[in-house]
Amino acid sequence: MSNRRFARTAGWLALACLVAAGLLAWYATRQPASPFAQEQAASVDPSQVSRGEYVARLSDCVACHSLAGKAPFAGGLEMATPLGTIHATNITPDHDTGIGAYSLADFDRAVRHGVAPGGRRLYPAMPYPSYAKLSDDDIRALYTFFMHGVQPAKQPNIPSDIPWPLNLRWPIALWNGVFAPTATYAAKPSQDALWNRGAYIVQGPGHCGSCHTPRGLAFNEKALDESGAPFLAGALLDGWYAPSLRQDHNTGLARWSEPQIVQFLKTGRNLHAVVYGSMAEAFNNSTQFMQDEDLAAIARYLKSLPGDPRRDGTPWQYVNADTHQDIPGAHTYATRCASCHGLDGKGQPEWMPPLAGATSALAKENASAINITLNGSQRIITAGVPDAYRMPAFREQLSDEEIAQVLSYVRSTWGNHGDAVDAKAVGKLRGHTDPASSSPIILQMR
Amino acid sequence: MTTRYELPNLSLDAPVNLSRRHFLVSTAVGALVIGFGLPLGSARVQAATAAERGTQVPAFLEIRPDGSVRLLSPFMEGGQGTHTAMAQIVGEELDADPATFIVEAAPPGEAYVVMENGMRITGGSMSVRMSYPTMRRLGALARAMLLQAGAEQLGVPVAELTTQPGRVVHAASGRSLGYGELAARALDMPVPDPASITLRDPSQFRWIGKPVKRLDAYDKSTGKAQYSIDLKVDGMLHAAVQHAPRLGMTVGSLRNQAQVEAMKGVHSVHTLPGAVAVVAERWWHAKRAVEAIQVDWQEPTADSKVRAMPADFSSDGFRDFLAAQQGPARDDENEGDVAAALAGAKTKVEATYHNQYLNHAQLEPPSALARFNPDGSLEIWLPNQAPDMFRADIARRAGLDPTQVTLHSPLLGGFFGRHFLYDSASPYPQAIVLAKAVGRPVKLIWSREEEFLRDVLRPVAVVKFRAALDDKGLPIAIEAVSATEGPTEAIAGKQGEKLDPTALEGLSGKAYAIPNKRIAQIYVKGPAMLGYWRSVGNSLNDFFYEAFLDELADKGGHDPFELRLHLLRDNPRLTTLLQAVGEQSGGWKRGPYTAEDGTRRARGVAMASPFGSHAAVIAEVSIDKGQVKVHQIWEAIDPGSIVNPAIIEAQVNGAVALGLSQTLLEEAVYVDGKPRARNYDLYPILPPSRMAQVHVRIVESGEKMGGIGEPPLPAVAPAVANAVAQLTGQRIRSLPLSRYTFS
Amino acid sequence: MELRINQKAYQVDADADTPLLWVIRDDLGLTGTKYGCGLAQCGACSVLVDGNVVRSCVTPVAGVVGREITTIEAIEADDVGKRVVAAWVEHQVAQCGYCQSGQVMAATALLKHNPAPSDAQIEAAMVNLCRCGTYNAIRTAVHDLAKQESA
Repeated sequence: MSNRRFARTAGWLALACLVAAGLLAWYATRQPASPFAQEQAASVDPSQVSRGEYVARLSDCVACHSLAGKAPFAGGLEMATPLGTIHATNITPDHDTGIGAYSLADFDRAVRHGVAPGGRRLYPAMPYPSYAKLSDDDIRALYTFFMHGVQPAKQPNIPSDIPWPLNLRWPIALWNGVFAPTATYAAKPSQDALWNRGAYIVQGPGHCGSCHTPRGLAFNEKALDESGAPFLAGALLDGWYAPSLRQDHNTGLARWSEPQIVQFLKTGRNLHAVVYGSMAEAFNNSTQFMQDEDLAAIARYLKSLPGDPRRDGTPWQYVNADTHQDIPGAHTYATRCASCHGLDGKGQPEWMPPLAGATSALAKENASAINITLNGSQRIITAGVPDAYRMPAFREQLSDEEIAQVLSYVRSTWGNHGDAVDAKAVGKLRGHTDPASSSPIILQMR
Repeated sequence: MTTRYELPNLSLDAPVNLSRRHFLVSTAVGALVIGFGLPLGSARVQAATAAERGTQVPAFLEIRPDGSVRLLSPFMEGGQGTHTAMAQIVGEELDADPATFIVEAAPPGEAYVVMENGMRITGGSMSVRMSYPTMRRLGALARAMLLQAGAEQLGVPVAELTTQPGRVVHAASGRSLGYGELAARALDMPVPDPASITLRDPSQFRWIGKPVKRLDAYDKSTGKAQYSIDLKVDGMLHAAVQHAPRLGMTVGSLRNQAQVEAMKGVHSVHTLPGAVAVVAERWWHAKRAVEAIQVDWQEPTADSKVRAMPADFSSDGFRDFLAAQQGPARDDENEGDVAAALAGAKTKVEATYHNQYLNHAQLEPPSALARFNPDGSLEIWLPNQAPDMFRADIARRAGLDPTQVTLHSPLLGGFFGRHFLYDSASPYPQAIVLAKAVGRPVKLIWSREEEFLRDVLRPVAVVKFRAALDDKGLPIAIEAVSATEGPTEAIAGKQGEKLDPTALEGLSGKAYAIPNKRIAQIYVKGPAMLGYWRSVGNSLNDFFYEAFLDELADKGGHDPFELRLHLLRDNPRLTTLLQAVGEQSGGWKRGPYTAEDGTRRARGVAMASPFGSHAAVIAEVSIDKGQVKVHQIWEAIDPGSIVNPAIIEAQVNGAVALGLSQTLLEEAVYVDGKPRARNYDLYPILPPSRMAQVHVRIVESGEKMGGIGEPPLPAVAPAVANAVAQLTGQRIRSLPLSRYTFS
Repeated sequence: MELRINQKAYQVDADADTPLLWVIRDDLGLTGTKYGCGLAQCGACSVLVDGNVVRSCVTPVAGVVGREITTIEAIEADDVGKRVVAAWVEHQVAQCGYCQSGQVMAATALLKHNPAPSDAQIEAAMVNLCRCGTYNAIRTAVHDLAKQESA
């Protein structure tokens, strides 16, 4: 960049800053508009409560706002952010510590715009950029559920430990201005109702992009709908690689049929994979409760998102492998992994997933492979029944080097072509993660 | 049903009317046999009871027509080889080849209280050493009865008869009769006066002291051996439980009882103290259903009868708490004047040591099978190390008289102290309730996860050492103050009037000639429920003491092996033992040195004198990719005298394995009041790849017989720790070594 | 479904995801195969499926329909298995014995595939846990069997 251009740019920036400063006080604390601003509380319709409960399932509110063994929605989940630790808040209708004093409009501003009463901005750990797409009807139902279907619980919120000045909330308003849309989902007339329903759930309440869409420098999701190529293209978050949900052969859903997607979201497993990591929570708390037609809609929509062969690489094909190679990774695989995943890597579908062709063995990001090996899987609870089989944790049995060796073997065998895993990467994740609980954890909503 | 444990349920005071020639059907041999095994309640047995211990021959022995001998052992077989040892001991005097024996666990009852300390337990490495003369005499009494029967049958004076293995022989006439042929007649013989019996001269032993083959080797190599978990009775249902996440919590409401009751195979859902249970047609159904129960667990109440586990308990935090304890301490040993010696010493050494909680992790998950009979009596099968104590407890729980309880004690799939009477850690109280509730026999198995949740733990201790060296660098005073709780104290829930010997053994009782010593305990009642773990207090305390002794050697400029020899200079037995292990290892060399394969190695030595025996260990270690690799363990052990050297070698191997396991990697970690590990994935036990080569030397000093199951264990950890310290220059003051970083 | 176990056909009524272990133990009463962990960690439940050693606690029964299953009860019907058992007795391997069914199955599978395995191959294959510390006896027994074969 030439000096002149730099000066010009700087000038514009200075002007922008002045304007921004002038507008900031207003902007950063203003109450966004809500269609419900004039709405009076109506009498409670029980069907609205159960509809709202379903929207809460679609939106997976419980995942963050409930802790196992504690009152539903009383908050408390600790979330590590780059700035510090924040805790999910009490969203029970308790008047003092929860959201009991919220009007429908207050509720709407919080859920769809990330603005609490008084104008305080929520951290975007709350996925309001996605929830913004929720329809007015769903917001109204959700509000009814939280006000009338959830027991009030007196549980003061835990303040975050983010230090000043990073804990100032007003910059979030600017962030919102750039990254958080405010429009509800608008159906695409070019697509049918099923597709549109799927798009609505995926982009809106399902907030799939929170994990599956890569984020930019400002920690923003790079795309919020199918108009952007990065949308649901796979991302690294919290020590897990959430794979692509696009038509990518290796790292996405190209090899999955629509019924297989439905089965995966409904039962936690199919011929290709079993839920694990963060997805196990999403399954336990949310996707399995979705109605069949909604799951079909999701599948239809996801199958419409094109893949990108340049990003995805050479399409995987199964290759027979010498299962008795005399290398440490192969030995470890044979003794530690093959009982479930098979010497041939094909697993025991639909209970033990194949590792041949698994996204964790094909993706550039190896975090999921390392994480699940170190920490095992949490229990998958389908229709209230904990799984018959779970992945053990190997962190106490295998060294960083041994894990790197066995994963390098897995990622280079049976046609898999993920990169080799470095022991340092294992050590890093080992330090940041904890083993999954072997106890079934069920988050109650009522 | 038929099991191999079919002994009539009879007690000392219940008169019975059974044919003496009653039929026993045993699946163990699959044959119908006639025996002269008399039920325990018979008049003859009662008469004998009044006499001496272990003289009621018919209560123990049944000789079958084919000459095979069925022996009811007072001790449980759990891998330690006691059934084979009993066959050797009895067979030696009975003059019957141990290979012809079928040995099973005897039921509860006074007749089987054969230990010289008046107890009957399988533990403390006591079985053989505490019953050896009694069981020999038992065999000799039986032989005398067979001789008497032979004399009658052959019509010759008994003095003219001798025996060969399994036969009564009349040399003069060349006639002989097999024991099996004489069994029926021998039945009518009175048990001779024990005083009239002469025991075999040990120089004539054919089987005692020899590497006789284990009786159970074949059955255990072919899946035929049956453990509690394998048993089945007609009409039996299966049960599984889900325990409260923390001991002491109680069951609130079940959120989904109806859903669980509707699950496939489910018979019924039950609420138990601190647990919920599902009874089902198959265990797998029971297990999946019980895991599905959503219980609102309630915090423990103040009147909780079990040791309530606090929600904020962590094992690391508790260790720090122990380390902060200042007393008061109670002395177990106090000789000389430690304070004065320390005050006047030129060189003082201080160090703080600690160990870790451990699980038993025996391979067979606990189970219990309970059946109420139509007459209201209770029949129960369970793994146990103390049948009389268990029967009394079972009777109390079931509201029955002990005579109404038949307790069967199958083979133990490992025990290591797991199967003593631990109130909160056994499935049988639950099995009794469930069998009563459903009116059918119930077999309850704890899943591995439930076992790790409720197992009692090997205690932890933080020990503060102080020692004084004289101007030659030799220790003249040692003080060890241990903040801990012994397992006996934990089970009692309080400290007794006397110190719990299992808390300090291994710190106390050391033979080194250090003139001033003080060994004391600060009793700290902990939140975790404790139990006995193979070699009990010695499993931790010998590590502390022997590792600290190496610190003293280094500080004083002495070789640790030479220092030990010096401190044992007036103890010929231990001097011999230490020299034996040195010699066995090719001569003591501490290292570090470079081995043939290019690895840098060092050796450590340690000794221990637990359970009446003495052991000396040398370990050879290297560091491989940051982990300690133990190449060799040389272990010399002096149990006084022995019964089976092959089994001793196996027991030493087993003790070394457990010793290495606790040294290298085992640790029960608690966070938020819960065990982090609920299975072997997060509680690794020694895998084959980390086993050392083990070289055993048995030193028979001829002193009083000592134990074998536990004594080889305690010196392993300090020998390894001392070797690692020598190799790395890093003092090892805690276990396991997986907590250390080595380069 | 129909299972072939030890050369016999069994009709089994079990859910598809039931572990083979519990079908063998509870439905068929073959209790020589042991439950130790249910998590493929210890190997006490090892059986042979088409000659390969498999941990039956993590083997959904539906996956082994139509395949040949061998449990410890029939191990001596196999020539290699018979030799393994003999070596186990000869070397007095067992202590408590609970893990030994699985150990014998693992050794049999190894030797069926590789009659004269190297030390490294033995170490790589014999990984079942034993709490009694029979590892050295197991190693000796398997080495002995391997040596017999290569001699």
